[in-house]
Amino acid sequence: MKKLVLAAAGGLAALSLATAAFAQGPTEKVRKLNLYSWPQAALPQSYQAAQLIAQQWRQLGLDVEVKPLQRQQQTQLIWFSRDKWDVTMWRMVGRPERSDPDEFLYSLYHSSYAEKGYNFIGYLNPEYDKLAEKQRTQLDREERRKTAFEMQKIIDRDQPQAFLVHPKYALAFNKAVFKEDTVVNQSGIGIRNIWTFLAIQPLGAQKDLIINSNEVINATNPLYIGGAVDSWVTDLIWDRVMRIGPDGMPKPWAAESVTWFDDKTVDVKMRTGMKWHDGQPVTLDDVIFSFQAPAGDKAPMYKPFVTDIASIEKTGEQTLRFTLKQPNTTFLTATLAKINLIPKHIWEPVLKDLAGKPETAEQLKEVSKIGSGPFKLVRWAPNEEILLERFGDHFQAPKVQRWIMRIVPNAEATLGMLKRGEINFLGMFGGDAEVLIKFAKENPDIAIRSEVDIGFEYVAFNNRRPPFDDAKFRRALSAAIDRRLMVSAAWQDYAIPANSHVSPVLSYWHDPAVDNMKTGLAEAKKILQEAGYRVVGGKLYYPTGKQEKLATE
Amino acid sequence: MRLVLGRFTHNALALLAVTTILFFMFRLMPGTPLAAFINENLNADQQQAMLEQFGLDKPMWQQYFIYLANLLQGEMGLSFFQRRPVMTILLEVLPNSVILTLTSLIIAYIFGVVAGAWLAWKRGTWIERAAVPAVLATRAAPEFWIGMVLLAVLSFNAGWFPSGGASSPGMAYSSNWDRIFSLDYVHHLALPVLTLALYLQGLPLLLMRSNMLEVMHEEFVTMARMKGLSEWRIVIGHAARNALLPVVTAFALGVGLSMGGNVVIETVFSWPGIGRLLVQAVSVHDYPLAQGAFLMIALVLALMNFVADLLYMVLDPRVSHGRKG
Repeated sequence: MKKLVLAAAGGLAALSLATAAFAQGPTEKVRKLNLYSWPQAALPQSYQAAQLIAQQWRQLGLDVEVKPLQRQQQTQLIWFSRDKWDVTMWRMVGRPERSDPDEFLYSLYHSSYAEKGYNFIGYLNPEYDKLAEKQRTQLDREERRKTAFEMQKIIDRDQPQAFLVHPKYALAFNKAVFKEDTVVNQSGIGIRNIWTFLAIQPLGAQKDLIINSNEVINATNPLYIGGAVDSWVTDLIWDRVMRIGPDGMPKPWAAESVTWFDDKTVDVKMRTGMKWHDGQPVTLDDVIFSFQAPAGDKAPMYKPFVTDIASIEKTGEQTLRFTLKQPNTTFLTATLAKINLIPKHIWEPVLKDLAGKPETAEQLKEVSKIGSGPFKLVRWAPNEEILLERFGDHFQAPKVQRWIMRIVPNAEATLGMLKRGEINFLGMFGGDAEVLIKFAKENPDIAIRSEVDIGFEYVAFNNRRPPFDDAKFRRALSAAIDRRLMVSAAWQDYAIPANSHVSPVLSYWHDPAVDNMKTGLAEAKKILQEAGYRVVGGKLYYPTGKQEKLATE
Repeated sequence: MRLVLGRFTHNALALLAVTTILFFMFRLMPGTPLAAFINENLNADQQQAMLEQFGLDKPMWQQYFIYLANLLQGEMGLSFFQRRPVMTILLEVLPNSVILTLTSLIIAYIFGVVAGAWLAWKRGTWIERAAVPAVLATRAAPEFWIGMVLLAVLSFNAGWFPSGGASSPGMAYSSNWDRIFSLDYVHHLALPVLTLALYLQGLPLLLMRSNMLEVMHEEFVTMARMKGLSEWRIVIGHAARNALLPVVTAFALGVGLSMGGNVVIETVFSWPGIGRLLVQAVSVHDYPLAQGAFLMIALVLALMNFVADLLYMVLDPRVSHGRKG
């Protein structure tokens, strides 16, 4: 009896609350939201995360449907039809040059990238824009760090999207073949990096490093940024003035030294005695040519990285002076450690030949194999393998004789290959992390190394459209997501929760203050209520007066 | 001769229809090849230039006739994604697919025909009762499953065969022929062939068995028995020869069908064949390459269909005589 009275009272209370809501004037129900994701088969973790998110959002009174789309279709919709979607799963991957936080700090949220480019969520904030531009001019690292922290706090406050996790990648190698302590971990990247490939030391007769990839290589072209796998290869064949070191900082590579003369001038002293793979010497003219070649319209992908250069002068036998149009702190990482050094005697005629034609140098699959890097390209069979050989004349010649990458689309077969010695370095693993751990336990020769990624997985909100134009609504939706459950259920503990575009592995730049976001369903409901949202009959309604006006449907 | 010509025209028309359907099918799929080149640095003009370069700015019917005209000259165009001639790419992988398919089919059909004839002979015995369900099971099991089981047992555990690829890492050959006739290639070929053969043998075996059962009740078999011929001669020389006809058709069609249907086996064994190429091409909207690959499969299918017709004429005189009577 007592229960019944209580229930009746509760019902009355709910009814009066509902009436109260309507008494404030008519409000509109939040429309059904489509949460786009990749298909389960393509990215199982991300798909499962989407399902968890949808469940949690439904408890806020939202109508949510998870819609898997093939990758190309998703790209088509999200990237090219920017005002036609609400919310989608998305990811940013780690790359060595992303070890400088600039790429994520700037391009993900700067308003100039909203129409085309990485700010596809359409986040517009003049305050953030100013800071993004400012950090590029701050040569003092401490000062720049303060700005980076400020930017992370703004993103934490505004939640233009909900960060989910930084994945952890487990890679492996055979320690019966290679000396275990010669494998180098690069922060935010893991053991599959050039430093490992240079230093790794064979123990016995097997002098070849054989690595797998489940993706095909598109091109070996130093003027084209292809897929991730392409860059593993171009990294080894072509040198750069600087390279991102294992600590994530740029360090002189083909240069002996790189120094800032003032905030717009960089002095570079090149190494002596470098050679191209065809035996010709690497000259200062080659270096200058390498930075001038992308400035035209024949290498559009690399062009943005050289547009800041006003001039390059020879100042001595081995020295060059770069003068910039404006101060740019990212010049070392984004330009000197990114632009591939290419031989003028090979590329000048190629680019001349392209002049006046619609084609760019990017369309060329393989113009020439000649670089000056620690490995030289010997043979490339697109669906099977690519074979590089040690370049003995290099200033840091590798210890392994050959570097062979096999294309293996079957994740389970890669483990079989690792066991049989058909590969001895697991460069990527598309299967279940638990399977890999179990495999290593059964095969004591296999050593596993895992590393948190610079990249992250997130739910992107379309900031252009209601209800996501409201920061409070976004904050509530972000708070409703249980990231710990997600890490264990979807990523099997091979990830850490995220709330910043600067990964905790970049410990110098990551602001720990944003790590402890208040989350939970209760918190999410509280935020919504405070912002004027109401739940009526289990459905979420907008605050009074707010209407869904969509530019296009 | 007229019959041969007729069959030929028939197949050519079928190919034209396939070409047309392929052309429009890919272009009506959602998405454009540009999405594969997603790149923040391409502005609207550059995107337009790229479309023009691919010829995608012209009306579709115009694109279609350009495509047909080029095709007649044996020109399949450049792959959007790989940026190399489609023909070159196809010819790189075609031998691998043909060898995998033909070897498996020949093994499967020789085994299937012999075992099928034998099982028909053993009708009603325990051998038949055990063998038929076993054959049905291998036929019903998914290819990838058979493949994974064989990999796990014969490669991962026993270590007898490599786990994938067509040759050992870093092996160099002076020509593709050298490679194909190398022991290393055969070693790599063994597991995929075994998998495919296991999967394929059910059809010829069951077909042969049921044909044999029918033929054995025919009058000419009784006649042969009355002539006092040995059982063996009756089976091989009279019954089997007649029961073989439908199996020949199945074989020829099987070549064409499994040429394109090897995607699964090629993926499981990382075999560099036309199936994997096709899947990649479709997923990145590489129209010329996907069209080329499909067309190649259709061409092989039509060709084998034609060969089956010709073989029929040789094996069964009634087919070519029927026209006169």
